[in-house]
Amino acid sequence: MTLLTIILMALITFTTRYLFIHPRLPVRLGAKMAKLLSFSAPAVLTAIWVPIIFVQQGQLNVSLNNPYLIAASFAVLAAAKSKSIYLTMLVGLITFIISRYFFVL
Amino acid sequence: MVLTKKQARLLMVKKGFLDMLPLNLAVLPWGILCGSLAIQRDFSAFEAILMPLIVFAGSAQLVAIELIANNASLATILFTTFIISSRHFLYGLALRDKLKVLPTPWRYGLGFLLTDELFALSGHSKAFVGQLRLVYALVAGGSFYLFWLLWNVTGVIAGSYLPDLTHLGLDFAIAVTFIALVIPTIINLPILVTVIVAGLLSVLFKLMAFELDLVAAALIAMYCGYLTERFQQKYSAASSDGHNGDTRQILKDK
Repeated sequence: MTLLTIILMALITFTTRYLFIHPRLPVRLGAKMAKLLSFSAPAVLTAIWVPIIFVQQGQLNVSLNNPYLIAASFAVLAAAKSKSIYLTMLVGLITFIISRYFFVL
Repeated sequence: MVLTKKQARLLMVKKGFLDMLPLNLAVLPWGILCGSLAIQRDFSAFEAILMPLIVFAGSAQLVAIELIANNASLATILFTTFIISSRHFLYGLALRDKLKVLPTPWRYGLGFLLTDELFALSGHSKAFVGQLRLVYALVAGGSFYLFWLLWNVTGVIAGSYLPDLTHLGLDFAIAVTFIALVIPTIINLPILVTVIVAGLLSVLFKLMAFELDLVAAALIAMYCGYLTERFQQKYSAASSDGHNGDTRQILKDK
């Protein structure tokens, strides 16, 4: 049963990725649509990371007790200043570990 | 310096690997979590490894493991998988014109590898154009697949020795990676508007427990970014009707 579930799940994830790059699909993208889609990367990726920072167990957490928020603030600054992916990750992870495990405010 | 074809290809292999490397490392905790959670929730090792091997989707795997362990109905599991995966429709649409013209094996291969991470590295206007950029995408996407598998297998092997990892805050690694990817791409007002709207709405929808939270927030944010750009263009066109050529030039440069 689990095996069947996994195989069907694989079909679904593949279909969602592949469907719109299939050439026979009768979809034409106009210039306006292409322009709109050019905003998809910042839009989707942001909609993935922001809730991780602010929402825990279904609750909004905007406080200094939220290690995610503190570390993310430093990471955003690091990313804006350095534009370096490694430095941003390093700053984020170090501030996260410090604020989560050492600094219980 | 003139490169032979082989040297150029090798260079792209290296670049694809190195560009994806930070993302490959960032999903280490997430992959170990998926693998070990499957074992802790009584999946066989074969089933636990089949997940990253053919489903190949972090959040969908994690949610499905919990659902299967809780004896949810097949329909619920598949519907949830579909909802979580539906953001990929946007990636396919955004890359459609570049990928639909590729030979079938490339299309299927890159289609399978089209994760959030590969999409994040596909922003270049000429991404997937020409053989060298295809090699780049294949190595970037392929290495992500192999690392994801490796971390999952590690989790499967370590499985029963590890404590329950679900509340350690491992999801922060995902968040910080996307911060590192998104923030440097905010180079103009329309993108800034997109990011702010996506951030606000995704939190709001999440709090409302709206199932399509991610995709809905992203779509509205995209539209806001689009409108901002239209508005900017209109404004610059209007000012060029007057005599202020300098303003127009400044606005255009933005």
